[in-house]
Amino acid sequence: MSKTINLTLKVWRQEGPEKKGRLETYPAKEISTDMSFLEMIDVINDRLTLDGKEPIAFDHDCREGICGMCGAVVNGHAHGPEKGTTLCQLHMRHFSDGDTIVVEPWRARAFKVIKDLVVDRSAFDEIIRAGGYISANTGGAPDGNAIPIPKEVADTAMDAAACIGCGACVAACPNASAMLFVGAKVSHLGLLPQGRPEAARRVQSMVDRMDELGFGNCTNEAECEAACPKEISITNIARLNREFLKAKLFSPHS
Amino acid sequence: MELNANIPSGPLAEKWDRYRFERKLVSPANKRKYDIIVVGTGLAGASASATLAELGYAVKTFCIQDSPRRAHSIAAQGGINAAKNYANDGDSIWRLFYDTIKGGDFRAREANVYRLAQVSNEIIDQAVAQGIPFARDYGGLLANRSFGGAQVSRTFYARGQTGQQLLLGAYSALMRQAAAGKVTIVPRREMLDLVLVNGRARGIVVRNLITGEVENHSAHAVVLCTGGYGNVYFLSTNAMASNVTACYRAYKRGAVFANPCYTQIHPTCIPVHGDYQSKLTLMSESLRNDGRVWVPKKPGDKRPPREIPEEERDYYLENKYPSFGNLVPRDVASRNAKEQCDMGKGVGETGRAVYLDFEDAIRRDGKDVIAQKYGNLFQMYEKITGENPYETPMMIYPAVHYTMGGLWVDYNLMSTIPGLFVLGEANFSDHGANRLGASALMQGLADGYFVLPYTIGGYLAAESFPDVPVDHPAFKEAARDVQARVERFLAVGGKRTVDDFHRELGHIMWEHCGMARTNEGLNKAKGMIQALRGEFWENVKVPGSERDFNQSLERAGRVADFLEFGELMITDALARQESCGCHLNEAYQTEENEAKRDDENFCHVACWEYAGDDKEPVFHKEPLVFENVELTQRSYK
Amino acid sequence: MNWVVNALKAAIGKKLMMAVTGLAFCGFLTVHLIGNLTLYGGRDLFNSYAEHLHSLGPLVTVFELVLLALAIVHVLVGLTLFYENWRARPVRYCMNKWAGGRTIGSATMPYTGLILLAFVILHLMNFHFVDKTGRTIFEIVAGAFAQPWYVAVYVVAVIAGAIHVSHGFWSAFQTVGASHPKYMPLIRGVGILFSLIVGIGFGAIPIYVYVAVT
Ligand SMILES: Cc1cc2nc3c(=O)[nH]c(=O)nc-3n(C[C@H](O)[C@H](O)[C@H](O)COP(=O)(O)OP(=O)(O)OC[C@H]3O[C@@H](n4cnc5c(N)ncnc54)[C@H](O)[C@@H]3O)c2cc1C
Ligand code: SF4
Ligand code: FES
Repeated sequence: MSKTINLTLKVWRQEGPEKKGRLETYPAKEISTDMSFLEMIDVINDRLTLDGKEPIAFDHDCREGICGMCGAVVNGHAHGPEKGTTLCQLHMRHFSDGDTIVVEPWRARAFKVIKDLVVDRSAFDEIIRAGGYISANTGGAPDGNAIPIPKEVADTAMDAAACIGCGACVAACPNASAMLFVGAKVSHLGLLPQGRPEAARRVQSMVDRMDELGFGNCTNEAECEAACPKEISITNIARLNREFLKAKLFSPHS
Repeated sequence: MELNANIPSGPLAEKWDRYRFERKLVSPANKRKYDIIVVGTGLAGASASATLAELGYAVKTFCIQDSPRRAHSIAAQGGINAAKNYANDGDSIWRLFYDTIKGGDFRAREANVYRLAQVSNEIIDQAVAQGIPFARDYGGLLANRSFGGAQVSRTFYARGQTGQQLLLGAYSALMRQAAAGKVTIVPRREMLDLVLVNGRARGIVVRNLITGEVENHSAHAVVLCTGGYGNVYFLSTNAMASNVTACYRAYKRGAVFANPCYTQIHPTCIPVHGDYQSKLTLMSESLRNDGRVWVPKKPGDKRPPREIPEEERDYYLENKYPSFGNLVPRDVASRNAKEQCDMGKGVGETGRAVYLDFEDAIRRDGKDVIAQKYGNLFQMYEKITGENPYETPMMIYPAVHYTMGGLWVDYNLMSTIPGLFVLGEANFSDHGANRLGASALMQGLADGYFVLPYTIGGYLAAESFPDVPVDHPAFKEAARDVQARVERFLAVGGKRTVDDFHRELGHIMWEHCGMARTNEGLNKAKGMIQALRGEFWENVKVPGSERDFNQSLERAGRVADFLEFGELMITDALARQESCGCHLNEAYQTEENEAKRDDENFCHVACWEYAGDDKEPVFHKEPLVFENVELTQRSYK
Repeated sequence: MNWVVNALKAAIGKKLMMAVTGLAFCGFLTVHLIGNLTLYGGRDLFNSYAEHLHSLGPLVTVFELVLLALAIVHVLVGLTLFYENWRARPVRYCMNKWAGGRTIGSATMPYTGLILLAFVILHLMNFHFVDKTGRTIFEIVAGAFAQPWYVAVYVVAVIAGAIHVSHGFWSAFQTVGASHPKYMPLIRGVGILFSLIVGIGFGAIPIYVYVAVT
């Protein structure tokens, strides 16, 4: 059953990438526990607008946990404290009356703040551009059933492919490393027979690009896995390591 | 204006082949000389961009989100159709064609739909080659499931994330071309105007959503893949940024808008629960494969669902439609839910919901099997509602989901503006008055991978195009207009937020131009929208500044267009004095409360041409000719 | 050979160096611990073990040089990672909590590592680079551990070492890509067990000696 609660929000406000940011405090009164976290911010924003203040900028689109556009660190947790949940799917029923909630943007050198809670995640696109694909021009594909793929393999690939590219793994990683994101893509494509021909090239160029973009190094903290809204497993990082090692040792092109 | 659909001659099954042979080609060396702008990176836009680039064109691709991967298509859950007949249950290209035409209540063009069915199989092959992890059987072959409106299993799926996987496939193909230097990706841009030079589409004006700068981009052709306009209802299953702006701006520049009133209301969504609600969440229709829809027989029965004995439940879909049961098409399922709730048999706090119950399925197949099929959907439901659907039935209610209407296009997918092509949900072409489940993904990818790459070549090869610089007077003028409009929003300084207006508009549309319509309601709504629009320009409050990341300003632009476009939808709904598919005018119903068509007078595409602000748009019609199917009253009994 | 350099320069390459050298140290710790257990057998057994070791002659030197090289790599690469990772987040969070993946071991790797480095230097100065004329190794050890503060330093260092290993062991397997849903829990378990053995095994020695001598 729904009820309303009163909260205090401390939100990171930063006008632009080069500007200095700070936490600002806003009362969040009469928040329905049926609201999602973003709907709660909508309400605050409406109030700010009517008070003649600038609303809080935040990214969002699907509001159902699939586009990967939303995200903020809530009380020290990427996407908030609920497991396997994006910020847009976090509901206010998980908070209690009187709580103070600190909201900050993803923080990493590779993700610059654009405004308030909005960050630039184009680094992820850059990594995919470096090789996160299977080269199959339109039109030349054989019948979909030409290569049987064991169900377990397809399922494991799907587990990895479920990544929504939200960046919570980077935000939660003490080292701001992107290994879970890269591992998920390398696994998804590398597990499938269609992806094998380019596997060695793919892993090397994606890892190189990741390094250039200023992400930190993985130290197997497993915070990414714990924060990931799609619960992508760090087994994918091990697979990435293995693919990398294999490519370096045995591929003629390294 | 004469609307020539340019349908190739010859028997239905040979049209596309013949067309491809007869169409002029652009030589490989020349392709790189053509710049093509693609707006949108959903399934249609991403697949078109990638394929055009593979062919050698110089492509520039725009989207609102920070990455092409986040387009609204990502949210599609259930699956994608194809006529593979892997299930050996009697499917064929012809059957897929027929089901789509019939599902659309005979308001779509035969030739387009047949072509869609023809290329459907290639889409699956292409997707598999890209590494889409479709569901598979233990033998390693592709698995299928059935979807509403079809009696065969032809839907391919990747758990409950089919749209995500297909989009990521198209996105990866796009990124591969970006790496090859063939595509320039321009994210966080919103197209705010179309630029015409000598009557041809030659570029766009966009606003850089980070800096607020207005930018001009020129090309030899413009391809709009900007998705549907369901957000005119404020609450819909569409992503928050989905809008009509790009199409509406093109309409204002002369592109004809077709069937704007055709809106699909999806039967299985999580019910509305509060005023602050910003969006509705779809529960994939595939759930209807195993879930049973029911309401209490007695109106106002407030007992918890599990305490209502079997004989006091009304499985109204199964009773009314024995052969399709819970799998009737969406419009039928939605209207029936509304009908039950109107009779006071709705459940939940608001009484605007019906049960979708998995108890029998869990008993029959076991919880594991059900979890395998729908685990993520159940989880999503629980996250939003706080209830566990393994134990208590889901509550569902219809919500706005898809818009069949869109910019009018011919067989080439070209609008009435030469050089302006429209793909995916943004065009009107293939679904008639109602779209079958799992057919939008199919259509978006068909348009992008397999249709446009052929048809655009014919356009470009037919004539020579001088380059248009971005400081051409036409660009300057359009950019000035855009700038002026932006300044106007900021200058109002009223007392109501943009969302507040949007919510009110949505309410009007839902009440009067939603699942069931009456002439009286539509006429009333028209006046209400005009009044609301008037108030908007006097009383809206848009904070912040123009040269900045300003999300309120972005929304203001979209809502302002919705406020005009909503009226166009109503005009169209009023003009169509029949019921068909999702357009149900209460005056035209069969005895079973089904949409009653009037083929004599309304077997046409209703097309609207912009005539100036505050002027009624000019009506044109494209008659629909059915040479291969017989028009029948749809019946899912 | 360019490819080797390239491979090792990459983030994963650096991690691989940490993993391989780290695992080598785990091996060394095992051997060292087995040798040290002779202490419990009393003065003669321990001295004879030491003599036996020294009789290996140049082999010992080679072994020591290898260990030194491993140590240099482990420390330098570790410091590089530490620095790079610190740089990867120029603006820190105002509020930061663990999501549930971290352990004390993983969170303190650089610090326990530095403690270990300091300790190893001390340890070598005490027992390796000391004047051994006229004293057996047992006497040196017994002499050192007669001082309580010395015992305390050793015990603290050994605990730091155990914590370091508790993360390092499974982490090395993860880094070389040896992860399998069936065996990973086992590897994690063995890692914890190993860190306990190292902690208790090495930690008990100074205490035992202190108690036995005084
Ligand atoms: C919840 C949900 C589930 C669905 N499930 C299914 C299903 O199971 N099967 C099925 O077949 N269909 C399904 N559909 C329908 C289907 O997902 C959509 O119809 C389809 O994805 C539309 O694709 P599109 O490429 O045309 O447009 P979209 O994916 O909507 O993409 C629009 C693109 O245009 C861009 N854009 C829009 N306006 C502008 C502008 N002014 N300037 C610049 N860029 C702009 C956006 O940024 C975006 O990139 C579902 C829809 C929803 C809402
Ligand atoms: S791995 Fe998880 S946390 Fe990282 S981007 Fe993908 S979905 Fe987000
Ligand atoms: S808004 Fe799409 S994942 Fe949250």
